[in-house]
Amino acid sequence: MYKKVPRMTKTMRVFHWINVFSVLTAVITGLYIANPYYQALIAEPAAHKYVMAYNRFFHFIAALLLDIVSVAVAYLYFRSTFDKPIKKLIPNRENLIEFKEVLLNLLTLNRRKNFDSSHSDSFNVVWFTILHLLLVWMLFTGFYLYVQGLESGLSSIGKWWPALLHIVTDWVGWLLGGQAGVRWWHHFSMWIILSWVVFHIYYQVWRTIFWKEGDIAIVFGGYKFKKVK
Amino acid sequence: MDFFRRDYLREMFTKPTNLIDTNKGEEYYRNLYRKAKERLDWLKFQKPVRENDLKFEEYISNWDISRRDFFKWVSMMTATLMLPPSFEPLVAEAAEVMNRIPVIWINIQDCDGNTEALIRSSAPTVDELILDYLSIEYQETLMAAAGDQAEKCLEDAVNKYKGQYLLFVEGSIPVKMEYAFTTGRHPETGVQRVRRLAKDAKAVIAVGACASFGGVPAAYPNPTGAVGVMDVVNGVPVVNIPACPANPVNIVGVIMHYILTGNLPELDSLKRPKFAFGYRIHDNCERRAHFDAGEFVEEWGDEGAKNNFCLYKMGCKGPFTFNNCSIVRYNDGTNWPIGVGRGCIGCSEPDFWDKYATERPLAASNIRPPALKGVESTVDKVGLTILTATAIGIGIHAISSAIAGKKESLNKEE
Ligand code: SF4
Repeated sequence: MYKKVPRMTKTMRVFHWINVFSVLTAVITGLYIANPYYQALIAEPAAHKYVMAYNRFFHFIAALLLDIVSVAVAYLYFRSTFDKPIKKLIPNRENLIEFKEVLLNLLTLNRRKNFDSSHSDSFNVVWFTILHLLLVWMLFTGFYLYVQGLESGLSSIGKWWPALLHIVTDWVGWLLGGQAGVRWWHHFSMWIILSWVVFHIYYQVWRTIFWKEGDIAIVFGGYKFKKVK
Repeated sequence: MDFFRRDYLREMFTKPTNLIDTNKGEEYYRNLYRKAKERLDWLKFQKPVRENDLKFEEYISNWDISRRDFFKWVSMMTATLMLPPSFEPLVAEAAEVMNRIPVIWINIQDCDGNTEALIRSSAPTVDELILDYLSIEYQETLMAAAGDQAEKCLEDAVNKYKGQYLLFVEGSIPVKMEYAFTTGRHPETGVQRVRRLAKDAKAVIAVGACASFGGVPAAYPNPTGAVGVMDVVNGVPVVNIPACPANPVNIVGVIMHYILTGNLPELDSLKRPKFAFGYRIHDNCERRAHFDAGEFVEEWGDEGAKNNFCLYKMGCKGPFTFNNCSIVRYNDGTNWPIGVGRGCIGCSEPDFWDKYATERPLAASNIRPPALKGVESTVDKVGLTILTATAIGIGIHAISSAIAGKKESLNKEE
C-alpha cells in the first residue's frame, strides 16, 4: 500500500519552473553575449535588427526573474507554513546523521536506507541551498557588470538605481580583480551551476528508479508516494 | 570599534563610483567661475617660471597656429573638462598662464611612448604647444642637458619649487627587482627616485598605463615586480592618466583643471579623472549599432570588416574599458583604434596585457584562471572540464547502480 505525501506546494512548483526557464534562458543568451556563436543572418540594416540587444534583454529578464524568486525563496526558507527548509540546515545531531545516511544511501547504491524518505531530507536541502548561494553570487557579479553600462549615473527609473547597485556590488570588483575578473567568474560560475543541474536531475531520476516512491512526480504534481506496511 | 566609526562608515558608503555629474547646477558653476577667475588673476600676477622665454602670443605665431585653431581647441578642451561654454574665456586665459606652473617629468621602466605620442604629430597641435609652453624643468627625453648637468637641473628644480611642482611619472616602478631600473651617476632605484621626488611635489600625475597600473612591464610573470605609482607613493595626491599611450588631450586636461581651480579633477575608484575615464569606449563607439544588431566581424578582411561591423568577436574590449578615445580620438582627432578597424585592447585598464589584449572575446581568451596558477586556458575549457568530471562521476554511479539493481532483483527472484 502506498500513501500520497505532499512535498511541494503550488507556489514552490511555480518557482521551480520559473527557475528552470530562467537558468536555461540565461545560459543560452549568456553564452551568446560572452562570445556570439551564431550570426545574425538578417539582410537588414543594423537599425532594424536587434540580435545582441535582444539576447541581452532576455538575459536581464531571466536574471530579474531569478532574483525575485530568490528573494521569495529566501523568505520561504524561514517563514514557509508548509515546510521550513532552514530547519534541515541547522547542523544539529539529527540533521548531520540524516545527511550522512542519505549520502551513504547514494554511495552504497541504495543498499542502505536508514532514514525517512517521505519528507525533504537534509542532504537535499543542503544541495538546494548551494544552488541558491550560487544564484546570489551570480546576482552580485551580474549586477556589477550591469551597472558599468549605467556609468552616467542615470537610469530610466532614476539615479537611485545605479547608485544602489554601486554600493551593493562594488566590492565584487575589488575581490575578483575588476571588470575582466568579474566577467571571468560570472561566466565560470555558469559552468558550476550547469554541473549542479546535471547532478540534480540525475539524482531525482535515480531516486525515482531505486527508491520506487515516484520522486520525479513531486515537481509536477507536488506529491510523492510512501510505502506503508 | 573602528568599523562603526561614523567617518569609516561614510567612507565605505560613499565609495567613489562612476557617477558623472555633467550638470552640477548654476550655483556651482557660478562659484567655480568666480574662484577660477580669482585664481587666474593671481597666477597672472605671478612671474613665469622662466621669464625670458617666449610669450604665449609669440608661441602661437611661431608655431603657425591660427587664432581660430586656438579657439577651436579652447572649445574642445572646455567640453572635455565638462564645463559649460561660459568657461571658454577662462580656459583660454589658463593656457596663457601655463608657464607659471613648474613641472618635473621623470621616466622609469617605459618605452617613452607617452612623450613620443606628444611630440610626434605631423603638424604642431595646440596640446603639443601647451606642453612645450609649460615650464617643464626636467624631462629626460626632451631636455638639452645631459649627465651631471641634467642631474643638477633636477636638484635645482626640486629645491627651488619645493611643494609647488607637479611631478609627472611615465613608466612602471620595479619593486621586486629594484635594481632593474637605476639612473644617473649617483644611482637611485626607481622606487627611491619616485618617492623622493613625490615627497616635495604638489601632486603626482601618472602618465600612461605603466605608471598607472604597471602596464606591459607588469604582465605575467612580471619579472621585475612592476607596479604603478599609486602603489609606492603615499601622502601625495595621485592622478592616473592611463592608456597606451595616454591621450595628450587628457594630460593637458588635467593640467588645465589644476590651473583653473588649483585642485585636481574628480577621480574614479582607480584614481582616473572622471571627465576622461567616466564612460566606456563602447558607449560612444561608432560601431555600437552593429553590436546591438549582432553584426560582427568574423575574421579580418571579411564582408563585415568591409562594412565596419562591430569588432567584439575580434576581441574588442570596449564594453569594459573606460576611456574617452571614442570621443576625442588620437592625434588631434584624426582616428583611433576602432576607427581603423581593429578592436580595443583595453589599454586604460589594470592588467590589460594579460586579460584584455588577447585579440578574442574574454570568454575565448587563454587567460590564467584566478585559482589555477600557471595554467592558461579559456573559461569554457575550465568549466567544461568540471562539467565533464561531474558527468563521468554520474555515469559511473548510474552504471554501478544498474548492475547492482539487476543483481538485487535476481537475488529476489531466487
Ligand atoms: S567595436 Fe568594440 S567598442 Fe565598438 S561597439 Fe563593438 S564591442 Fe563596442
